[in-house]
Amino acid sequence: MKTPSPEFQPTHANHGSGFFRMLLFISWRNIWRNPIRSLLTVSALSGSLVMLILYSALLEGMSDQMVSYATDISTGKLQIHRKAYLDDQDLYATLSWQTLNQLEKQNPELKFAPRLYAAGLASSKQNSTGVLIEAVDPKQENQVTHLLEHLRNGKTDLSMAPIKNDTQDEINPEGYGVLVGTQLAKNLQLTLGSELILMTQAADGSIGNALYRVTGILSPFDPNFDRMGVLMSVPAYQDLMAMQNGMHEVAIKTPEDADLTKIQQHLLQQLAQISTQQLKSGDTLKNLGGKFVVETWKQLNPSVASMLSLSRSMLLIIGVIVVSLAALGMINTLMMAIHERTHEFGILLSIGLKRWAILVMILLESLYLAVLSAIIGAVVGGGIALRFEHHGIDFSSQLPDGYDWAGVVFEPIMKGSISMDQIWQAVILMLVLTVIASLIPALRTLKLNTAEAIR
Amino acid sequence: MSDNLENKNPQQEGSPLLSLEHINKFYQQGELQVEALTNVNLTVQKGEFAALVGPSGSGKTTLLNIIGGLDRPSEGSVNLNGIDMTQLSESDLSNFRLYQLGFIFQAYNLVPVLNALENVELVMVLQGVDEKERRTRAEHYLGLVGLQDVMHRRPAALSGGQQQRVAVARALAANPMLVLADEPTANLDSENAFALLDIMHKLSHEEQTTFLFSTHDPRVMERAERIIRLRDGKIEHDGKG
Repeated sequence: MKTPSPEFQPTHANHGSGFFRMLLFISWRNIWRNPIRSLLTVSALSGSLVMLILYSALLEGMSDQMVSYATDISTGKLQIHRKAYLDDQDLYATLSWQTLNQLEKQNPELKFAPRLYAAGLASSKQNSTGVLIEAVDPKQENQVTHLLEHLRNGKTDLSMAPIKNDTQDEINPEGYGVLVGTQLAKNLQLTLGSELILMTQAADGSIGNALYRVTGILSPFDPNFDRMGVLMSVPAYQDLMAMQNGMHEVAIKTPEDADLTKIQQHLLQQLAQISTQQLKSGDTLKNLGGKFVVETWKQLNPSVASMLSLSRSMLLIIGVIVVSLAALGMINTLMMAIHERTHEFGILLSIGLKRWAILVMILLESLYLAVLSAIIGAVVGGGIALRFEHHGIDFSSQLPDGYDWAGVVFEPIMKGSISMDQIWQAVILMLVLTVIASLIPALRTLKLNTAEAIR
Repeated sequence: MSDNLENKNPQQEGSPLLSLEHINKFYQQGELQVEALTNVNLTVQKGEFAALVGPSGSGKTTLLNIIGGLDRPSEGSVNLNGIDMTQLSESDLSNFRLYQLGFIFQAYNLVPVLNALENVELVMVLQGVDEKERRTRAEHYLGLVGLQDVMHRRPAALSGGQQQRVAVARALAANPMLVLADEPTANLDSENAFALLDIMHKLSHEEQTTFLFSTHDPRVMERAERIIRLRDGKIEHDGKG
């Protein structure tokens, strides 16, 4: 037994699969030497991961909602205006219906929705206030946005119909149906079926006024519209404003994942050609309301676009803070473990284990704790976030009208949004930060004096 | 260098296994220089069973640490198996310890999360010994120290005497040229201390392994074949036990 046979003579030290298997094995057992301490560390790390995943789900939910509100509900992916309308809300700076028809023919993959705007005075039986009048073509609008489906109460009925007459008068007037903002309905004490009188200066200079019936109340999506908005059909607007030709705005829906900048450039070229034809027929650019302007939703809602990019940075910053705090627990655990095991490290060094192997052993222990925490945190955090995504948190008792954040009015039910990518990102952030944090105590083992350690 | 460090037989015929020449060791304590070892000269032949004895603070542990490559002398040379250890780098010294030296410490010699068998195998894992071979050797040496029935127990489930015997098995299984033991019986009762020394002595002869151990227990000294007595960092006496 004294002299091993030649084939068993040692050939290499401190490496090879058996050596690394041993390191993995010892590290795994080491984390269970003090199970309570390890479990506390795992709890802190997995708790931080749960928080991070939930925060990510919350931010992503809000971002999704912001993008959705910014594009799907009202703005669309792109919009076309005349420059004078953008600069001064010039009532006469319109795009012609002919222009819209040409664009529809040239771009069958795009959906277009015309819109008209005006300012006016609205009166109910109880109150009156200044309002923003918006007109849409329900059929085209439904192809571009979900604006008309965004109802809190009532239905989207913008047609002409008799108005219910509470006083049983012989006169039974007819009126177009309109949708109003939630806050406006509250201010004017409007309910479904209420009469609403609108008065404005028409395009021909006359006073336009008419009686309308409230058929629906829109859920909040834009603070201005919520407070002042009245939505009607294009014919209703044309009757009120004595303005038959043209629209102020065209909202556009593009196919999913389309390159908006490319489409924007393409539309600008087409509109330049249309503009050239119009100028040839004798109109001046000034009379037409200036050149055509095509903008993407990010240009139209710069605050939302900024908030979206900011929210990603916020997530990273908050994530680093939350996980770093939990990683302090890991540092503490390893500090204690290294302090307690100094003698043992001395023994291992004296029998021939390399210092780097002890460093790897400590890092493996922290990796085990981090991976365990990652599994628990990802499962628990992912589960809660999924529930958060499906059911949301209902704040309607405290905030019945929703809440306004970054210029967007949110529903009182806060919903999250979670994907595997978000969970992976949170897990990777936690693993990287924890292993980096564990380097601080682990590096101390490199400075161990063997003779002192075994004392 | 590593190949030489693994070589078990570079020693020339008749030359000592271990040779210490003019070893001095100073420690700096603030502005005071403490002399731990003064001009120590020592040779140990292969197969010796020698005891370093002396009162506490006499320099036994310092000397063992220097011989074991755990500490470096301030002056002088340590030649083991034909290699001057004072010239080795930290990494080579680590390999040298792995292949040429076995260690038995006073207590807590073992890795607590490994059982007795795994503890004995540990050094052989570091040496890169084949799994089957190291299992055979570990079981063999645990059998020699009488622990074949408890080899799957972790250190916490073994008595102090049993733990020290596992340490002996671990030291021998690595097939070292020299086994260094720093007061291996200090934490054992008389019965276990004698039993451990008997095992070490027996294996020293059977395995032709050189043992150098420190003690200040007179009863233990009686078992040594050679006694090297240290006092105030100097060798006071070197002779038969």
